[in-house]
Amino acid sequence: MTDATQAAGDVLLAIRALSKSFGGLKAVDAVSLDLRAGIITTLVGPNGAGKTTLFNMITGHIAPDAGDILWRGQSIAGEAPWRIARRGIARSFQDLRLFAHMTVEENVLTVMEPASWLWQPGGGAARRARRARTAAILQATGLADKAGVRAIDLAYAERKFLSLARIMASDARIWLLDEPASGLDRRSYDLFFGLLRREVANGVTVCIIEHNLDIVIGISDRIAFLDRGRLLADGNPRDVLADPHLAAIYFGERAA
Amino acid sequence: MLLLQLLINGIQLGALYALTAAGFSLIFGSTRVFHFAHGSAFAIAAYLFYFFYAVAGAGWPVAALAATVAAVVFGVAVDRFIYAPIQRHEGSFFTVFVASFGIAIVVQNLIGMIFGRGFVSVPTALSRSIEITPGLYVSPLAGIAILCAVAFFVGLHLFLTRTHVGFALRALAENPELVRTYGLSPRLLSSYAFALGSLLVVPSALLTSASTGLNPAVGSDIMLVSLAATIVGGVGSLRGAACAGLLLGLGQNLALWRLVSQWSDAVTFVVLFLFILFRPSGFFGRAVTS
Amino acid sequence: MFAYSLNLATLICINAVLAITLNFIIGYAGIFSVAHAIFFGVGAYTAANVALYVNGSMFVAVPIAMAAAAALSLALALPALRVRGEYFIAASLGLQVIGVTVFSEWKSATGGIGGLIGIPPANLFGRDIVDPVEFLVLAATCLALTVLVIGVLVRSSFGRNLKAIRDSESAALAAGKNVALIKTLSVVLSSSLAAVAGALYAFYLSFINVESFTLDTSVLLTAMVIIGGTGTRLGPLVGAALLMLLPGLLSYLWFLPPTEIGSIQQIIYGAAMVLLMIFRPGGIVGSRAGAR
Repeated sequence: MTDATQAAGDVLLAIRALSKSFGGLKAVDAVSLDLRAGIITTLVGPNGAGKTTLFNMITGHIAPDAGDILWRGQSIAGEAPWRIARRGIARSFQDLRLFAHMTVEENVLTVMEPASWLWQPGGGAARRARRARTAAILQATGLADKAGVRAIDLAYAERKFLSLARIMASDARIWLLDEPASGLDRRSYDLFFGLLRREVANGVTVCIIEHNLDIVIGISDRIAFLDRGRLLADGNPRDVLADPHLAAIYFGERAA
Repeated sequence: MLLLQLLINGIQLGALYALTAAGFSLIFGSTRVFHFAHGSAFAIAAYLFYFFYAVAGAGWPVAALAATVAAVVFGVAVDRFIYAPIQRHEGSFFTVFVASFGIAIVVQNLIGMIFGRGFVSVPTALSRSIEITPGLYVSPLAGIAILCAVAFFVGLHLFLTRTHVGFALRALAENPELVRTYGLSPRLLSSYAFALGSLLVVPSALLTSASTGLNPAVGSDIMLVSLAATIVGGVGSLRGAACAGLLLGLGQNLALWRLVSQWSDAVTFVVLFLFILFRPSGFFGRAVTS
Repeated sequence: MFAYSLNLATLICINAVLAITLNFIIGYAGIFSVAHAIFFGVGAYTAANVALYVNGSMFVAVPIAMAAAAALSLALALPALRVRGEYFIAASLGLQVIGVTVFSEWKSATGGIGGLIGIPPANLFGRDIVDPVEFLVLAATCLALTVLVIGVLVRSSFGRNLKAIRDSESAALAAGKNVALIKTLSVVLSSSLAAVAGALYAFYLSFINVESFTLDTSVLLTAMVIIGGTGTRLGPLVGAALLMLLPGLLSYLWFLPPTEIGSIQQIIYGAAMVLLMIFRPGGIVGSRAGAR
């Protein structure tokens, strides 16, 4: 899955005029967006703007009504979610969806085990390598002393970090994170984004859905603003956030 | 002529199936609880009717009333004292189902111990078939069954569309959270759903006790058919469950035209299995998330 | 007394294999099947037919029985892949009922309601196992092997795959797991090992009929798994032993009418299931919160 480093700025994931309706409601309306390699793109917008639906379509959990998704130039729209994941597209969920009754270590380890058959390829050497890498990831996310704890017994911040650890284990080229840091205290938040920045520096591309304006300003290289399924703006953070029209929508929704 | 006879038998049976299926569908649709003990309500009503009318010699209105009260109380009690505590402890769907299964086992065996494992039935002149035309036998019970089914369905329709509770039950089926914002208690509505659903088994139970007869496994048989009808008809659609119940009753009898009786029972499950494989949303149901 | 204990021990071993294999899909994959008795039956009937007409050696009969069950299990796997929860239970119920009808009506293969008689004893390396003690050793060995195989699988990456699917199927998909393949594999494995129990059963009794493979049996097996504790290694063993010992225990209570012991037994485990779900869904062995 890890390839030769993509030249920064190249378009890794291209979303072309993607649309999805539920009943009569247009959740996503002809959205086109490019996710470029080596940067952090943030999707902002009020509740119900269609951000998570967009993620669901990219990762294959929902089939789009119209439009296309191109991963390195190849169309992946409508593919099975596990195949898309194997291509190097990883995602986290807003409600985390940790493997609740498995331990922290198992949560991370299982992501590293790609084969769906009865055994994994590579034998003993590969197994030791996976365990070593798991330990390293747990160390990096501050979960090393919780390795044997069941996910369901973790504290809130620890769960968020476990969700990140699973993504780190996936060896994916692009990470789609759905509100990964919401509710974190200052210290955890700094740790979280420090970790994220390090991964981006190592060649990972990240797209975050986030509500919190502070996060959006501090961390993004690009911002895409969605409202009611439509992409209203896409570009440099300062330019996007300086737009009074968008601010009105955003703050209007926050005040409500 | 045989075909016509089977058709009439099928409609009679189908009418009874339609009612119990609608009861199960109502409960499942509004509360999302897999009330496997629904068949037990049927068995309890049937056997109590048999006991009061045929054994204790009470008049049939008294016996029918006893059966009705017992079925409704059973349904509501199971919901309040067994399902509710489990759901409060974040019981998953399977946990509730297993408890429901356990209840069904207990009731079936208790009935077997009290009334014996053999067939019993309520003797009545109404079950005697009259030869309408040569080769065609119909008993008054067939007519009563169909009339009852029609009456109860009309009543159910009126209840669901004209009363506050009925409207709320339909809302509960759509969205439990929304119901809370209207200030209605999902717990109370759940009790209504169970009461109403259990009430619907009573006419079928009484009629079955007089026509086909009863054995302790009757609850389990009815349960399986109600389940099949609910899924084939489409979860969330009472109309679908009723139609499917009717169709299954017809199917079971018409199958006798060509198959031996053992296989005709299996027809219900072949149909169920095929629907689950190819059209889990049934005839009228909502799309199924897998 | 000794013969009685031997008999009980042997039956416990056979039922424990069934409980462990059922727990594999219920407790680990989250696939709630009530059709397990059918695979038990397919294993029994196939092994019996092979021993009667082809070759009496266990090394021939058992693998063929496993293959037959594995093939049929695809009929269970298909709905398991397409639908969840209540729909799947209904499908497995359907399979169970259809299976019983087939067992009762397919006279040439199953002897119909009368069943198959005169099944030759288990034959290992050319030696007939007729001594009950030897058979118990055989049954216990099969149980030990089952415990080993399932144990290894559960602790392996495959076990993690199953638990991931059980805990969150969407997250498992997002992690690149081919959920359909994993579920199918688990159903095939569970059913083939259940067939081993079926083969043992046929050789042990020399006579099998449909009565042993009805919904009642599937329900009993489910009760064993649930009462013992789903998703635990010890649970199915405890559940199997407890529920098999129950009739014997009940017969000691002199005030109970012997004809009703079967019903009382069912009432006890039905009530146990209800009470456990309210107070201790994890079963006897499981934690208070349960693995679900």
